[in-house]
Amino acid sequence: MSTPLSRLVLLTAAVTFAVSSGPANAQGYTGPKVNLTFLHGFTGPDRPVMEGLIKKYNDSHPNVQVRAQAQPWGTTWQQLPALVASGKAPDVVVINEDQITGFVARGAVSPLTPAELKGAGIDKSKFFGPLFATADYKDQAYGVPISSVAYVMFYNKDLMKKAGLDPNKPPRTRDELLKASLACTVDKSGKKAGQTGFDPKNLDTWGISLYNNWVGARAAYAAILQNGGQMVNKDQNAAFNSPQAISAVQFLVDLVQKQHVARPNSTEEAELAAFSQGKVCFFPSGQWYLDRFESQKMNFGVTFMPRVGGTVKDAAWGGSSHLTLPKQPSSYDANKRKAALDFMAWLSQPAQNLTWTSTGSLPTQAAVAKNATFEKAPISGIFDRLDSVYATSGYPWVGQVMAPFDQAWEAAYLGKKTVSQALNDGVKESNKQIEQARKNFQ
Amino acid sequence: MTITQAPARTTTAPAPTPRRRVPLEPYLYLLPHAVLFFLFTVYPIGYGLYISLHRWDLLNPVKTFVGSEFYRNLFTPGTPQADFFWKTLWNTTFFTIVSVPLLLIAALGLALLLHRPIFGRTFFRAVFFMPGILTVSVMGILWRWMFDNQIGLVNAARMVLASAPPIPWLSTEGLAWVPIVVGTVWWTVGFNMTLYLAALGNVPVSLYEAASLDGATPWQSLRFITIPLLAPVTLFVFVTTALASFQLFGQSLLITNGGPSRSTQSVIQYITEEGFTNAQYSSAAAMGFAFGLIMLIFTAAQFGLMARDVKGDEG
Repeated sequence: MSTPLSRLVLLTAAVTFAVSSGPANAQGYTGPKVNLTFLHGFTGPDRPVMEGLIKKYNDSHPNVQVRAQAQPWGTTWQQLPALVASGKAPDVVVINEDQITGFVARGAVSPLTPAELKGAGIDKSKFFGPLFATADYKDQAYGVPISSVAYVMFYNKDLMKKAGLDPNKPPRTRDELLKASLACTVDKSGKKAGQTGFDPKNLDTWGISLYNNWVGARAAYAAILQNGGQMVNKDQNAAFNSPQAISAVQFLVDLVQKQHVARPNSTEEAELAAFSQGKVCFFPSGQWYLDRFESQKMNFGVTFMPRVGGTVKDAAWGGSSHLTLPKQPSSYDANKRKAALDFMAWLSQPAQNLTWTSTGSLPTQAAVAKNATFEKAPISGIFDRLDSVYATSGYPWVGQVMAPFDQAWEAAYLGKKTVSQALNDGVKESNKQIEQARKNFQ
Repeated sequence: MTITQAPARTTTAPAPTPRRRVPLEPYLYLLPHAVLFFLFTVYPIGYGLYISLHRWDLLNPVKTFVGSEFYRNLFTPGTPQADFFWKTLWNTTFFTIVSVPLLLIAALGLALLLHRPIFGRTFFRAVFFMPGILTVSVMGILWRWMFDNQIGLVNAARMVLASAPPIPWLSTEGLAWVPIVVGTVWWTVGFNMTLYLAALGNVPVSLYEAASLDGATPWQSLRFITIPLLAPVTLFVFVTTALASFQLFGQSLLITNGGPSRSTQSVIQYITEEGFTNAQYSSAAAMGFAFGLIMLIFTAAQFGLMARDVKGDEG
């Protein structure tokens, strides 16, 4: 999707889209002319796309001029508290899913009331539910999603064919995944898993990539949600050691230690290389690797994370960026807020979102996902389940929960602890840290 | 000048006017630096101390005074800070203990080899110095790949040359230090080598000539001439390398991300995590001061060593 041609196709499609959805623009901001400052972290190849969108908005909205500033995300996280505290926050700021609830709980972001959303023409129900809810806190909305990434499962069609599997039917359930993974696993002497003399230490090809960094841990995150488990309970304490969570993660660890269809002690780099070289059938990871496999001319597909954890629901981890309105001093111009809402509404519209997908982002709403542009794109393999992508948000201490969780996955995956011991230890550490963090929010 | 000076010599008390003017001038010269010093050193330290004694968050208007709570956490068994601060401090100390001797010996060895008029001497000096100009991110990614559990060059070489099974360097406690230490030595040894090369150039050739007339072996020349004469530069290299090693951050962050199980996490990485991932600024500030204090004691001890050495030279 990063080739110039596909970009052009997308842009053309976006323009057509914009024309057809024209009337939605009618109820825009009509007050006196205002200038808005807009702070975002799209500093890579996505920057010119964002700049193009802003230019388009400025050209079509003479009474609102948006001045954008791009800077690395981390810089924004460090500066935002000071900017808000001194009453000099930008009018609109993009905040990512792992930071947003922390800033909301600390009072850096102002809530978007239902009346405001409605007045600006932002219809919550048009977005993927869990994606929009990422920026919710205590039943109030604080942001509108404009960009999204997700954990997916890449599969190698050639290798699946070789293993006697249907390359157009990637596994969707636990049993299907295990069966397919077993079929893909062959050791260097040609023996399959389960056969006598099978040597799991010398695999030639294998079923699935599991690995020990934070990206690897997101497979366990999906498994826990799929089995009805949660990262935090209703009191927002860490709870990723429920029986559902333990059984879900146990299945993944068994793939390594019992079934030998995944390599032990592996790293993301090693599994990425293995998938590129056609050594492994299934590679769960971020959808951001799509470009890489496309440019390699691999015969691959992309599917939504299969239900490795259980059967309660579909789930995969996802990241997202949300347009937010920081808290402003009482002297703040009310017209600016209205104009800012208008800008947010415009930027999140299907036409603009479609343009934005040229950066590798996933659609934020079903209307965009249905666009004909994606019909033959490999990524569309996950579009039927984009409403099952869950971010790590909703509690102010994401860092305190996810760091111990990632450590727990590492210990379980490497076989240093049993799954229940690893998750219990992680929850214990996490809750100690939450207890301390909680004092900051009173 | 002579006219005004003459009475000043004879009277017991000097004239009051010139006395008042003179002391102001040096302070004016100091003023620009003093302003910057107070603004960027004294004030931040003072404000940091204030943060460490309060429950502080920029966005929270209420900044409750909590006294030594965040310092006490470090000594209260069971708190994450007590568990991880000392663990990561020990990790950092371990790294220093292992890497400093290596960086001294390897630098001296290279300098001795490249001091001799061998073929391609300048080329090799450049080769060993060059890694030092890389940024820590380039160095970190490079050594992470070299030691990858599955696809690393080191494991590949082991398999091809010795048909030995791959070693999971990055995910085994203890072994995970190997890429960090080896990478750091590769990265920074060139600078120390250059210092040693400069010092070797100052050793009088006549001493070696006299020693060889007396029948000294090369080892004896090294042991009784080169090493003692290099002592001042060795001490300097030791002090600067030890201080740099205590600031371990980027190498372990990029090569192992502090893992497995925080076994290679540096104390600075942990303080950063507490401050910016967990948003516990006060706790991070307190740990920063605790670490700073430990470093001060360590530096004072080293200054003592240096002072003794200078005295020894004079005496």
